[in-house]
Amino acid sequence: MGFLAAGLGAGIIALGAGFGIGIIGKSATESIARQPEAAGDIRGAMLLTAVFIEGVALIGAIVCILLALGVGQ
Amino acid sequence: MSQFLRRLTVTILFLFAINPGILAADTQESDGGSFDVMGKVVDHDYVEIVGVKIYLPRILLVDGEWYFYSNTKSAIESGQFMETEEGGLVRSDGAEISLDMSITSHLVYVWLAIIFTLLITMWAAGRYRRGLGAETEPKGAMQNIFEVLFVFIRDEIAKEFISPEKYKRYVPYLFSVFMAIMFMNLFGLLPWAASATADLTVTATLAGITFFITQFSGTKDYWQHVFVFPGVPAWSRIILTPVEILGLFTKPFALAIRLFANMLSGKIMIVSILGLIFIFTDLFGAYVGVGSSVFWVALTAALYFLKALVALIQAYVFTLLSAVFIGMAAEEHHHHDDETAVAHAQAVEVETNH
Repeated sequence: MGFLAAGLGAGIIALGAGFGIGIIGKSATESIARQPEAAGDIRGAMLLTAVFIEGVALIGAIVCILLALGVGQ
Repeated sequence: MSQFLRRLTVTILFLFAINPGILAADTQESDGGSFDVMGKVVDHDYVEIVGVKIYLPRILLVDGEWYFYSNTKSAIESGQFMETEEGGLVRSDGAEISLDMSITSHLVYVWLAIIFTLLITMWAAGRYRRGLGAETEPKGAMQNIFEVLFVFIRDEIAKEFISPEKYKRYVPYLFSVFMAIMFMNLFGLLPWAASATADLTVTATLAGITFFITQFSGTKDYWQHVFVFPGVPAWSRIILTPVEILGLFTKPFALAIRLFANMLSGKIMIVSILGLIFIFTDLFGAYVGVGSSVFWVALTAALYFLKALVALIQAYVFTLLSAVFIGMAAEEHHHHDDETAVAHAQAVEVETNH
């Protein structure tokens, strides 16, 4: 059961994080296209937001690793 | 000359990418079928250099008594300690170790990273003090790389996210934490070494330092925003204040987990992809395993370049977020003052236009 939960969890995490980072990338490229002179600032903001999503996704990933390794059973 | 160096670097990089495959094959043979993925990641009581294991001293505290041994083996041979089934140590009379201050492989790599950072910064500081780079242009590849990194940390991270008046105090911390994490991450690329940042205790310590610096540089406004959030109805503070206090601790927690999970996942990914060779050998026979290994090793080589990139990006991200958190705490809010200042400036502008 632990393996099943870890596999499903990892998939859902990838889905969520991919969706989130995809939205960030979309709006960042759109903003850069609209305002190329602000590309530097936009890139910084993009990275910062992506990092926050990554952090949440990685906490989920750690839970999945713990499930797969059977920690706490 | 530089072309020769470039070729040498690329060759060495490829050799590094192939070496873990050989190592994995060795382990596979000696263990007789089982291969421990986590064994490549967790802490050990030895440092491996080019396949030679150097055992590290054990410092143990049992029931208020200190024991010093040059390595685990001598601790067992002395008769005072015996090995448990899980590989840990207990005293011969069964007493558990109350405090294990042993020097481990990850600690050695943390020290190495600190020494490298110290040496490079001191070397560069000496050059700038002599006027090389301060009055003239920076000379040599090393100093140029150093200057690029330092100016990047100072201008793009510290100045940008901490207020322009206060950022100078935090540049030394941000730069040294960046260099140390970068070295620790890059050590993980060496075939026998380990990245110390793939250990939660190391990243938690680093995040803890950021946490304390953040709290000690907190202004009155910062603490006011934590405990008594201004401008909201009084009853909503019942929810808001606990959330804000919790937020103080989740920030460094996420900082530690992020670095740890990134470095750990890179390592596990490489071992897992190399492990596919053996899975294929088990499923379809040795020929398919050997044949497909060309593909897996090539994929591992690509992953190594990705890991080198991730090592730099994660060092950058840690520094960036540290700067953001410190900047949030050190910031001084002047909501009302700002508005009046803007209104005043506009009034002056209108007057001068007339």
